[in-house]
Amino acid sequence: MEIRRTALLAAGVALVLGAVSGTAGCESGSDDGGGGGESVSFDANVSGALRAWAFDNADDVGKARIDYAAKQLQGVSITMDQTGFDAQKFTTRLAGGDVPDVVQMDREYVPTYAAQGLILPLEKCFSANNVDPKQRWYPNVVGDVTYKDQVWAVPQFYQPPAIILNTTVMDAAGVQPEDIDTSKPDVLLAAIQKMYKASGGVPTTLGFDPQAVGQTYLWFISQGGKLVGDNGAPTLDDPSNIYPLETLKKIVDAQGGFAKYKGFTDAFDTFGDSNQYVRNQVGAQVNAQWYPNVLSPYKDKIKIGAVPFRGKDGQPVTVAYGGSFVIPAKAKNPSAACKWALALTEDGSWDAAATARAATIEKDKAINTGLFTGSPGPDKTIRDKYVKPSGNAGFDQVISTYYDVVATGKSAGASPAGQQLKQELTNAITSALLGQKTPQKALADAQTATMSAYRSIAGS
Amino acid sequence: MERLKPRKYNRREAIAGYLFISPWILGFLIFTLGAMIYSLSISFSRFNLATNKMRPAGLDNYRALLEDPRVAGSLKNTLFFAILAVPLEIMLALFLAILLNRVRRGAGFFRTVYYLPKMTPAVATASIFLLLLNGNTGAINSALRAIGIEGPQWLVDPAWVRPSIVLMALWGVSGTMVIFLAALKNVPRDLYEVASLDGAGPVRQFFTITLPMISGAVFFNVIILTIAAFQVFDQAYLLFWRDQTNVAPEASLFYAVYLFQQAFRQFNFGFAAAMAWLLFVILLILTAIQVKIGNRYVYYEGER
Repeated sequence: MEIRRTALLAAGVALVLGAVSGTAGCESGSDDGGGGGESVSFDANVSGALRAWAFDNADDVGKARIDYAAKQLQGVSITMDQTGFDAQKFTTRLAGGDVPDVVQMDREYVPTYAAQGLILPLEKCFSANNVDPKQRWYPNVVGDVTYKDQVWAVPQFYQPPAIILNTTVMDAAGVQPEDIDTSKPDVLLAAIQKMYKASGGVPTTLGFDPQAVGQTYLWFISQGGKLVGDNGAPTLDDPSNIYPLETLKKIVDAQGGFAKYKGFTDAFDTFGDSNQYVRNQVGAQVNAQWYPNVLSPYKDKIKIGAVPFRGKDGQPVTVAYGGSFVIPAKAKNPSAACKWALALTEDGSWDAAATARAATIEKDKAINTGLFTGSPGPDKTIRDKYVKPSGNAGFDQVISTYYDVVATGKSAGASPAGQQLKQELTNAITSALLGQKTPQKALADAQTATMSAYRSIAGS
Repeated sequence: MERLKPRKYNRREAIAGYLFISPWILGFLIFTLGAMIYSLSISFSRFNLATNKMRPAGLDNYRALLEDPRVAGSLKNTLFFAILAVPLEIMLALFLAILLNRVRRGAGFFRTVYYLPKMTPAVATASIFLLLLNGNTGAINSALRAIGIEGPQWLVDPAWVRPSIVLMALWGVSGTMVIFLAALKNVPRDLYEVASLDGAGPVRQFFTITLPMISGAVFFNVIILTIAAFQVFDQAYLLFWRDQTNVAPEASLFYAVYLFQQAFRQFNFGFAAAMAWLLFVILLILTAIQVKIGNRYVYYEGER
């Protein structure tokens, strides 16, 4: 009996081994080439079924755009997976052959998948639909998704950062808006010192929150740094990156040091009734364009203004990523995917979105801060049509500042190791600001780690 | 006492037995053993996700493990975590189990309350701990400040990030506690009565009766917790690596987190599979050592 049992077990294991190795054997072969994207053709006349993985938790703007795009693709049956993009899920779906036709993801991720041959270059998609990317989107927005001279995604949204001033704190300290100037660190530091307050060594009011780890690209690119080389390789150890990091360190050291600064800002009730402006916890703070929407319900409790973020040369500058739509190399209906993504980002789609947003704002009695679409045409149209004086001069000036700087965008560059680059840069900033490493050493270590990821992904 | 001789099962009963457990066997063969063998084959290959093809790589991936300093670094971080977390969890779980074992009125209520943290999703727990561990305003440092101690910056200071993950891991101590509680319930009362008559106090009773009698449960928990500690992912990932704008000191890079990054951020499936097999071998050796040592000290009911 014992022998029979052992034999049975051995036979079972052998069966599984055979099955698995058989499968592996079938898959074995050359790993050269990507997904064969070059041979895919796009057609403006579309039909069939379209599977999209996009619009997680769609709001009024998202729903209006989905409806608009569906009308442009009459005859195409569209099914949507409205969950958030997840790198692990995407990878698993690709490996399992369960590939959607179009996927929404952050622009930062795009070069990673492009380098692996997992998504399609879209030149043919644009030409089949008579779209010139340089005309439709801001140059920096296209730059975010351009890798090896090819555009790999249909971008959407560009919500630029600027500095929102807390006039209450600034007035009390005698600080003027022109003192919050990131191109003049000495002037900025003097203003910070006037506004900074602490109790028992713990900050209670920051003069200026630079968003040291939340706006890394902005700080480095605006202050003359270079993070990505022309071929997408990381350049974190470029000497030009020392200055931005040293500037950040001075700003943070003037406000209790990084550990206390971080602990303080982590405790902000950013989206709540006790946010940092209501509680006067900041004199000024770098914020993306969407943040005035968060502050809008508190317009009667706060006094705010805004100034542009200035580069080392004194000129306004913005750096930010946004969303995009990509078409996987193994998509079954790439033509419909292309047309759908382009429909979502054309003027009519944004007009539908702006109309929906205006209706929501009317209902909520909120302030219309505009939509920042990533495309200059719709941005201007929406501003002219829907963004009217709100009766709150401070908010109107904030909104106007964001519109003034939206065209000043610079791309941080597109690297296949983009995710790793951001993580390593964040860690380099942390260790330098904590004083554990010199800026040079921190950036050199980050470069080594990012290069390793770059070689692995780009295969060079 | 004579041991009962096991009854010989006949052929029909054996077939019935196999049929009953066949769903589990099939599941094990396909989803565990099959997946393991497949991952072993990936570890000797270069796997291209775009084409779903593998190319033989020999021992390259295993060689790369030795050359990548982050493999050793993440292993060191994980070892540090295991050395700190396993004994602390054993002691805390045992302490709570002993307390609950003494409760007579409302025992069910207290058991439920103590078990609730285990039922809380890791994401929710991490959100709470991000608040609790805040260096300036967190409840832990506020409590320390109340007794005159300036607490550390748990989530920022590299020296304290691993202890902060240990603290979060201890939140789920109740799973271990329940096993201890069940073991404590099985310790015969008359042993304590006899010990009391002989003049043994509570501490003596604990070391000479309780601990030996529940040594099987202790041994089981040590092995399970050690394996879990080397595979720890959720806590480190949620506190430090959930997105790229997070401050994630090198000290928080645990082995499973690095493995995840290699597989799903850098598409190094061969390397990640090799990492998984290295961990498997390490755990196999550790468990073998624990079993060897444990067999000397563990009391099994029914043994002579």
